[in-house]
Amino acid sequence: MPDRKLQERLLLAREVPGDRLVLEDSVLLEALSGSRALSAPQLAALQASPLTLKRFRHLALQRRRSVAGWRGSAGMLRAASTAQALDSLVTDDGCWSLHFVAADAGDEGWQVILKLEASAAFAAQLMREQPLLRVLDGQGSVVLQGRLDADGECERPWAFADDPSEHFQRRGAGFSIEPAGR
Amino acid sequence: MRLPGTRYQEHGWEHVRKLLGACSLEVFRECDLHQMLDSALHAGLLDWYTDAMAHALRPVARRLRGETAGNSYGDSVAELALALLFELQAQPSFWGGFACAVVAEHARCGAFWSTEAGDGMLRKKVNDMFAVLRDKVDSDNYQAATGRDCSPNKIYTYRMLDTAYREIEGLFANWERNAGQVGAILGRELGGYPIEVRQMTSIAGCRAEWIIRWSATQEQFGGSPGPLHTRSKRFASLKNNPDKIAEMLTEIGDYEELSANQDGDWQQDAEDATVWLEDYWRVVADTNEEVSRPLSYDRAQDGAALAALQNEPLAVRLAVFQKLLGPADDSYPDDWRDPSTGELPTMQQLAVMGGVSVPTLRKRRNETIDRLYGRVN
Repeated sequence: MPDRKLQERLLLAREVPGDRLVLEDSVLLEALSGSRALSAPQLAALQASPLTLKRFRHLALQRRRSVAGWRGSAGMLRAASTAQALDSLVTDDGCWSLHFVAADAGDEGWQVILKLEASAAFAAQLMREQPLLRVLDGQGSVVLQGRLDADGECERPWAFADDPSEHFQRRGAGFSIEPAGR
Repeated sequence: MRLPGTRYQEHGWEHVRKLLGACSLEVFRECDLHQMLDSALHAGLLDWYTDAMAHALRPVARRLRGETAGNSYGDSVAELALALLFELQAQPSFWGGFACAVVAEHARCGAFWSTEAGDGMLRKKVNDMFAVLRDKVDSDNYQAATGRDCSPNKIYTYRMLDTAYREIEGLFANWERNAGQVGAILGRELGGYPIEVRQMTSIAGCRAEWIIRWSATQEQFGGSPGPLHTRSKRFASLKNNPDKIAEMLTEIGDYEELSANQDGDWQQDAEDATVWLEDYWRVVADTNEEVSRPLSYDRAQDGAALAALQNEPLAVRLAVFQKLLGPADDSYPDDWRDPSTGELPTMQQLAVMGGVSVPTLRKRRNETIDRLYGRVN
């Protein structure tokens, strides 16, 4: 597509003396995710700054890669968390967390809550598409299955006899989150 | 040295610089440099220079394709040289700087380019132009990749520190032969094998004091002052600021470690790097919807100018693509290419194809480019 290459060149290869990054990343990311449009002056500032357009390009490509590329996330039980009761785990990419809440006093069980970070590049897409998600422990047993609610969370009762800390330690100390439809 | 977004690394730069220098001397032989003295001619000369250089670099690029890696991302020396040439075309103030240097030298000693030392003097000025442009390009790309501010001067400082580290690494590797300077760098008498030599496994393990002491001892051991201690005082403030040096060394080291396993990132970019334009158009449309009236944005962006390009004869269109994207862009369809080279036809061939002279073709090409950039209506 040489025409598009040419357009890219026309946008980016211009000399603007004293050019600098004129918009915050958060502003560009909100515009990219569609959660908040740029104001007219912001758009004008973006178009007048090839450097900021380059940053926009970088963020847009990064976002596309991680949206298209999300096949799942994984994490490990950290050594430090073995000493005390486990209350949360975070995936290595920082996009998901698992929270463990002891049920009310008198009751023995646990609740497990999967939470998607709003800053994840694929967050908007998953919230829109609402795919069925599955959390697996280190040996592939299903810890939780369901869809995210409007807060980006999914809560289920803990299905195992061991408490979460013991369970994950016995089952390879790892966990993963993936779309269930595979 | 790798930093996010940057492409020009010391080991390849030597070759890129020499290639640009050699080609420049070759093309300047075809030109009366007296024209440089008239600032009204600078824009036209830049147009001529970038055409002539692209032409001179083409066979080199073909010959060296895939051979000489100019950086650790696998870009060839010729690709890096061409990329810088295209940047020069887009950023004419750097050409202006070169022209000023030529004018100043001429004021001192006349038509220096025809003297015996002329080639060397000219090459030095070309080198300076591209070195400054290189730092500008790398600092822009660093900012685009990180979102953090960075000046060309700061990039230059990173390079200096990286080079200093390599020098120290070399001295440490031969510490027995360089015991005097190594002792001075470490700030103590050497009593046998210095443990620091073993401990410094990357630039992150190099201490700021060592850089300062290395620079301070260069005059004594290396024959000329170290970069923090030159007369020019370019880095003079750094020598009293070890914290700043340490911070920069750590950043270079951290990114080197991080990027060592991530070479694929750039290739992913290349797959279809222009998809971001769709995001851009969507963002433009979102804003227009929000303010419920169409904004007038650059002609270059609304497609009208590109549509006008489609009405130009093929020879002019291909000349435009050649000038803005180079002779061998991956996106070109086969029927645009000369089968014997695999690249777009040369300007001479395009002129024949269009039934016009080369100067006429060049004029129409430049007028079209001005329209594309929205510089004229």
